[in-house]
Order: sequence, then structure tokens, then C-alpha cells
Amino acid sequence: MTRSLSDDGPDDPPERTESDAVADPAAVTGGAASDDPGRIKVGVGELAVTADDAILTTSGLGSCVAVALVDRRAGVRGLLHAMLPAGEGRTTAASRPAKYVDTGIDSLIGGLDDAGADPRRLEARVAGGAEMLDLTDAVGPRNVERVGEVLDAAGVPIVASDVGDAVGRTVRLRSDGRLVVRAADGFERAI
Amino acid sequence: MRVDVRALGACNRLAERGAKQAAGALSDLTGTDLAVEVTGASVASGEDLAESFAGRESIGVSVGLRGGLDGEAVLAFDAVTADALLSLLPGGQSMERSAVTEVGNIALGGFLDGWANYLGKAIDMSPPRYFEADGAAVLPDGALAGDGVFLFESRLDATTTDLDFSIYMLPDSGPFRDLIVGKTAPAAAAGGEAAGGTASTAVPYESLSTFSSLAKKGSANAADNIAMMTGLETSVDVSRLRFVPLADVPAEVGTEPHAGTVFELQGEPSGYLAILFEESSAAAVADAMLPMEPDEPLGDMAENALCELGNVMTSGFIDGWANVLGTSITHSPPEFVHDIGASTISPLVAKLSERQDYGFVIDTAIETEGIQARCDVYALPDERELARALDHLSDP
Repeated sequence: MTRSLSDDGPDDPPERTESDAVADPAAVTGGAASDDPGRIKVGVGELAVTADDAILTTSGLGSCVAVALVDRRAGVRGLLHAMLPAGEGRTTAASRPAKYVDTGIDSLIGGLDDAGADPRRLEARVAGGAEMLDLTDAVGPRNVERVGEVLDAAGVPIVASDVGDAVGRTVRLRSDGRLVVRAADGFERAI
Repeated sequence: MRVDVRALGACNRLAERGAKQAAGALSDLTGTDLAVEVTGASVASGEDLAESFAGRESIGVSVGLRGGLDGEAVLAFDAVTADALLSLLPGGQSMERSAVTEVGNIALGGFLDGWANYLGKAIDMSPPRYFEADGAAVLPDGALAGDGVFLFESRLDATTTDLDFSIYMLPDSGPFRDLIVGKTAPAAAAGGEAAGGTASTAVPYESLSTFSSLAKKGSANAADNIAMMTGLETSVDVSRLRFVPLADVPAEVGTEPHAGTVFELQGEPSGYLAILFEESSAAAVADAMLPMEPDEPLGDMAENALCELGNVMTSGFIDGWANVLGTSITHSPPEFVHDIGASTISPLVAKLSERQDYGFVIDTAIETEGIQARCDVYALPDERELARALDHLSDP
């Protein structure tokens, strides 16, 4: 215990963890993952894995890319929202692997493996990677390209994708493994 | 006194942990799932904070601190949102006081535990004191007298219902600032790759205050330029300099469709500036600028009008910076955007994230009276270039 609490405080003193506060593990596994068993929000530079019926969602994809990996037989799914193509060799990739496509996919596969998925049975769905602006030299397409390279190297097939163009997307990964992609105008399709 | 902006990043992460504990406690109490959307550190003078709390009623708890941190910490809810939240509780009004006290205690406990770990020193926390306060009375003792405080604000969103609100944490400024200065080295090590061992991210505290005032001035200039171009009366509703994890910025903009313009800034500091309107506001402002009603609300005519407006707003914004910083800053031509708000800003955040994990965000809400239009300006300067410019600012 790192601080004392008076006996006059409320009945239930807070649960606390003693983890290193600076290298916050929540940044790696998806901060909201434990908050809602029915719907798990995956933030920018985060990933989450589920082995139950939870819907994994991530919103406001522009140049960022969402990678959904599913092992249908094991019923294990995971979703990554990566911001930049390459993290290998960067020191921040260790504390926040999900910020990058390459280290993020590695972490996601590791997380799925831990949750009971067989990496050889995984299939991928990819969304995002739009070229929203001329100002920002094709970060979206570079993200998509990197996803293809990394999944290819890992032997994970991409079974469907909705990438590129100049359009923002919000996605949700359903329990049946399909990725529902919604655009700003409300148009939705499941891939 | 120098503040290492990377240490500030580490502090922010501690605040976020506290907010997550608060969200968890509130979820348990209300049966409504809550998630922390964004946590940011405002660098503001007591006067600025007093202004931003003016006219607001807060309820919350305050605790006294001894040991590793001395002073006072406060957690406060806006009374209006607290009412909405507490209405979810079984037991109604009678629960309010104990629920707020418990939640506040949990949030502050989580926040302070993180600090104690970081410092390697215990922090004693006195029993929580419930309060209801008008305006700036919410601030810890001494916040208004000194030259500034750090305010940590976390926005929480209910995942299944339409409820969002903020909690505020105000560590007492003096000892807290000493910590930020004293812990520069470990924070830099934890702060990310961009430190690189050579680039300084420590800036004089006074310069941060100056820059915060500057952000306000830039916002006022931008608002004046809207007034000039549209003939509509405008005002700056909120304008603050905050230090946030860049990855949180898209969530803050939100998933509603937005239209507006983005600019690349070149000079010292470089960076990006985005001016985003919700669709109805964009259409209303464009309509006010155009001599005749456009064929479609956000078609080519509106796009041209918004680009023109963006140009003068951006000039108004950065001219103020360049004057005070004594640097030259130019901006690219406007690029029109119209899409999910978070999506429009994500490439800017991604580009800056190649070099930094945290960023200074100047967010300004400008309101146009009469036509119910509102826009948000996000200025995202390069952290190291801004630190360098701020450092020069304090040179004799």
C-alpha cells in the first residue's frame, strides 16, 4: 500500500494495482476492454481480444487501419486500431505496440494465441487506411500496404477488406466474425 | 522553473489511471458502463481557470495530502451532469452525497497511488470532504493566488446511453510543479522515442502560461475574423491549452460528421491546424457568407466559403503566435474536409505521432450568435519545436 487512508473514509476503499504507473499496461490491451463485456471500445493505438460474444468496436478510422482477426473454431476474435505502418526498432513500440501496424499485428496474434486461438486458423478483415488529406503523404495507403506485408509474413489470409478512398469509417466486429463497416453517411456493409 | 513536457505526459497517464478507476466505480454504482474517452492536462493560470469555471456549479470531494505530495487534490463534477449521473442511482437524492464522496475518493486514490509509485514515497490522504461550490470556489486553496495550476480533465462516456461528463483533478500547484521539474529524467526515459537523448522538451513554466494566454489571443483573433467575414456576432466560448495523448484527440473530436478545413503549419513551430464545424453549423456559416442561398448545403460554393473563412481564421490564429514567439510561421492553402470528425483529424494525429506520443492541443470553441453555429479549432504544434520556441521566449 503506497498511501494510507483514514478510517473515516467511505466503506469500500478502492481496489488498487501496484503496476508501474508510467508504462501503463492498459495502453497495450485496450483501455476499455474490461469495462463492458457486451461492447468493447478499441481506441486509437489500442487492441482488444475477446473469447465471448462481445462486439468489438472502433470508430473514426481515417488514415488509421483496423485489423480484425478471427479464429472461428475457437470462437476467439481480436481487433487492432493502428495509426502508423512501422514500429519495429522504435522504443515506443515496446510500451504501445498497437500504435503500429507491424508490432500491433504481432501483439494481436499473441493475444489471440493466449486466449485460445490457433494462429494457423486465423483469418483477417481489414478496414480503413483512407487517404483523407493531400497534406499528409499517403499515411493511409502505407498502413494498408504494411498490413498486407505483415499478415502475409504471418501466414494469415485477408478474406475481406474495405480500404482506401477518401472516406472515414467506423467498424464493429460481430460475434460471427464479420466486420461491419459504416461510413459517415450511415451506409453500412458487413465484410 | 522548467517543466519537462514528457514528465507532464507521465503525469497525464497517472491522471488517466485515476479516471479509469473512477469510471469503474461509477459503472458499478450506476449499472451503466462508462469508459474514459480522453484525459488531458491543462496548463492554465488561476485567472484562466476561474474564468472557465465561472457560472458553473460543481460538486465533488477534496482531500488533503501529506508525505510524497503536500497540498490538496480536488475531484469535481459539473453539478448538471452529476445530477444526470446520480439519477441513475438507487436511493435517489439521499445517495448523492455518499456516492460522490465514494467515487471521488476512489478516483483520487487511484490518481495518488500512481503518483506514490512514481515517486517511491507514500502519500497520506486525509478523509474526503464533500463540497458544493460555485464557480472558481471549486479550485484548491492557493490555485488563484499563484501563477498557475495544472488541471487534469477526463471525459467519460457511457457506452450504451447518451451520457457524457467530465471529472477534474487539481493537484496543488506548488509541490506538484516541483515534482514535474524534479522527475525530468525518468519521465523522459518513459516518454517515448522522440526524446532521442538530445532534444530538450523542458520549457520554462512561465512560458507555458504565456503560450496559454497566446492561445486565447489567437482564438479571439480567429473569432474576430469570422465576425468580419460573416457580419455575425461571434464569441470564444472556451479556449485552452492542453497536453494530451495524441491518440485521444480523434475520440475527442467525436464520430459526428464534420466539415471544415485543415492546414499544415511551417516554421517554428510547425504542425497542423484543423477548423471543424458540425454539419449544420458549417452550412449555416457558409450560408451567411454567400450572397445567395447555395444549391446544396455543403456543396462547392459552401466549400469555397469555408476555405476562405479557414484561411483568415488560421492567419488570425498563427499571427499571434509568431509575434509573441518571435518566429515566422506560415500555413499551407486550406484543404476542405467533410467526413466523420475523428476520421478527418486522424491523419494529422498519425503524422505528428511519428515523432511524439503526447501533444499540445489548443482547442477553442467559437460560437456564432444568432445562427447557432459553433466550430472547434484544434492546433497541433510539433512538441519539440514548440518547446524550443518557448525556451527562447524566456531568454533575456
